[in-house]
Amino acid sequence: MKRIISLLNLVALLAILLLLYGPLAKIGLLPSLSSLLRGGAPKIEDTPVIIQQIKNIAQMFTQTFYDEYVYDTGVMRTPLFNQDKRLIFIAKGEVISGFDLSELSEKSIIRRGKSIVVKLPPARILDVVINPSGFETFIEQGEITFEESKKFHEDARRIFDRNARDKGILKNSAEQGRQMLEKFFRLLGFDSVDIIIPESR
Amino acid sequence: MNTEPQKKPRARKRLLFLGAVILVLLAINVAVPRQKAMPQLSARTLKDLAELATVEYSVTKIVSYKDVAWYGDRKILFETAATVKAGIDLNELADQDIQLEGDSAVTVSLPQPRILLFNMKPEQMREIFNESGILRSDFSNEEKDGLLSQGEKDIRAKVATMDILERAARNARILVESWLKKMGFTAVRVVFKEKRGRT
Repeated sequence: MKRIISLLNLVALLAILLLLYGPLAKIGLLPSLSSLLRGGAPKIEDTPVIIQQIKNIAQMFTQTFYDEYVYDTGVMRTPLFNQDKRLIFIAKGEVISGFDLSELSEKSIIRRGKSIVVKLPPARILDVVINPSGFETFIEQGEITFEESKKFHEDARRIFDRNARDKGILKNSAEQGRQMLEKFFRLLGFDSVDIIIPESR
Repeated sequence: MNTEPQKKPRARKRLLFLGAVILVLLAINVAVPRQKAMPQLSARTLKDLAELATVEYSVTKIVSYKDVAWYGDRKILFETAATVKAGIDLNELADQDIQLEGDSAVTVSLPQPRILLFNMKPEQMREIFNESGILRSDFSNEEKDGLLSQGEKDIRAKVATMDILERAARNARILVESWLKKMGFTAVRVVFKEKRGRT
């Protein structure tokens, strides 16, 4: 009986230590227990990078929109006995817009002596970039599958695209393209430069 | 004198006291919320660019991680893909980089090419394998992002050692030459600037 009580005392002391550690880890004064058990940063295996395709392109980037967004999935109810799910992450990335100059044809450039007319295609969003390093998990509750998380990441990209359009990226992109090409053609000795850019949809 | 009967209640009292402390600490643990610094979001910004991308590489990589421990293993495997675009930054083009010789001859000195864009789209990623031992926790979303970030870093490093910049330079030369010829220049020379001198 004496031994059992001593053992219980020891267990209780250990539990107290753990319970004292918990709140201190929660407020960030100590590292979390799970991170202590996990050890050092995981390291992926060295695997090759394989080229699938090489494409010649002619894209003129004229505008970038840097964005940061806090994405909250809200509480996702799961069947009885399963923990509800929620994911909050911060997405950081950029939207690039400009012109696809491969759409230029012979007819797109008209030169008459010292004057030139260039018809560009409409400015458009060329890339929305949020790389894995641009995602930072803030709160993760319940088991969120990779496919679910991928869906949220794709949604964040759509939000970036929409925010960039709302901020007027296409209008700015067209204006910057016009200024840039005008400067370039004047350096080439043209006195009159006319850049025609259709309005973006 | 026999002290045993006195010791027993003392030990029990201590146990009761420790039990009470545990209960109080449990309550504190439940009450203290997990604190995480609120993210500081910077302002959304639009910025002018003047870049000409001339080559696009599509690459793939298997991101694999094995966490081996005596109490069980965890293994995960992803298939990832990235698009890398390289070209020239036309902001580096100065007035003196365009030399006209009459109305029909021109020499253009272009800046050295560089990687302009790196994009790993989520829709091109796939989790192929994911297994955790019975005593191990599953891979969290945060851990998966961390592993994919390492994959991203590795792709960036390996693509930089490929011939992407040489191809970007070759394509930029062809592109600029063809545009200038369309504009009516008959003698076009495109060279690349170096940090010192020209090539």
